[in-house]
Amino acid sequence: MSERALVARRVALLAASLVVMVVGSTDIRALRAYRETVVVSEAFTRQVPLSTYFDGVRGTLMDVPVFLFDSGVPGGSVLILGGAHAYEPASPMMAYVVMENIAVTKGRVFVIARANMSASTLGMLGNAYPPFFRVKTPWGEAKYRIGDRETNPLEQWPDPFTFVHYPSTQNLAYQDSRNLNRTFPGRPAGNLTERTSFAISELIRRERIDMTIDVHEASMGYPVVSTYVCHERAEEMCMMAAMMLSAEQFPMKTENSPKSLRGLTHREIGDFTESLAVLMETPEPFIDKFVGPMTEALMLTGRDEFMQTAADRGLLYADYDMKTGATLDYRVGRHLGGAAEIIKQMGEFYPEKAVGVSWPTYADVMEKGIGAFLHDPGKAPRERVFRH
Amino acid sequence: MILLQTLIHQTYFLMSAVIAVLLVTRLFRRKSRPGLAYDIVYAYTIIPFVLRALHIK
Repeated sequence: MSERALVARRVALLAASLVVMVVGSTDIRALRAYRETVVVSEAFTRQVPLSTYFDGVRGTLMDVPVFLFDSGVPGGSVLILGGAHAYEPASPMMAYVVMENIAVTKGRVFVIARANMSASTLGMLGNAYPPFFRVKTPWGEAKYRIGDRETNPLEQWPDPFTFVHYPSTQNLAYQDSRNLNRTFPGRPAGNLTERTSFAISELIRRERIDMTIDVHEASMGYPVVSTYVCHERAEEMCMMAAMMLSAEQFPMKTENSPKSLRGLTHREIGDFTESLAVLMETPEPFIDKFVGPMTEALMLTGRDEFMQTAADRGLLYADYDMKTGATLDYRVGRHLGGAAEIIKQMGEFYPEKAVGVSWPTYADVMEKGIGAFLHDPGKAPRERVFRH
Repeated sequence: MILLQTLIHQTYFLMSAVIAVLLVTRLFRRKSRPGLAYDIVYAYTIIPFVLRALHIK
């Protein structure tokens, strides 16, 4: 082959590779660039960046907006933490439904819908996740990101050989250095995820948050599913809330935060702040390892024949029926009901910390779907529309 | 500490760019293994390094 033909061949191959790269990265770029829209309720007071509480996250994707809904009436305060694990979509969706519909009659409610914003900007490696899911509303489809469990390596890299948790010095898996729910209470001079945890801890301390509710989803093959996980200071109110929910709405368990497993919100926020720390888990077939294709439909419906087989063999830790699945409406509804009940119980146990709050109930969401509670940004006042 | 972390992090992007340039150079200028299969390998292995250098993936 002549030299000229050889060069032409290599140029053609390089061009073909670049075309493959551009086409193949379309979804990746779209996911990273996409911003979700939220229309906050009339109870909205103000929005501040997380860096207001700790400057170490300023200018990064982790400098997430903190939304405040203040009744102006003295009472307790609650922080709802959504999206610590971005691949558990009922968590930010619950936060969005709260933000769009909340009414506060006593005390203050803070909401962070995307606690790990960076994690929501990439897919989960090796799992062939769809980048987005869509929720049907009366005014059209609302689109949201499905992200990863950990901070995007574009924001934090390289991982250490072993992640040494601060301040306990407990050794954790290397990828937990990018896991927001393993880096609490955070470290001001630590990596970006540790600094984000520290910023949230500072928010809790400075705003004197009485209760922190960290919202998650769990695989059904994991014992801690359909559960409150509570720091020992919140143990009794969690038990009461779980009993009330199980009797009146849906099955809910409660579990104490293990003292020997470090870095989790329900342990470290309870230990390092005055806040009552509660974490909620809802059943999410989409993140189980033995389900079929991980499609948008599976994420929205939770219907999967392999999951049914596992249920038939008694391998799951929550009731499962493929006919009903575990829909996004069900999971978000559970979180809305679970958060409302635990806040109510805090007021029963500590009247001075009572927070008067309301948002769509579990029954509302099961009847109408979450789409009925998401508002049209095109018709909302501009000052109440945020891109997130 | 944060400055050091940032420097290390940015070094990885720089390394990706350097490797991408190196691969392009080797695609066109190499004395051994001139076959088509090696051309294809050189061409497609550039992709992840360019994506990282451009802060896409």
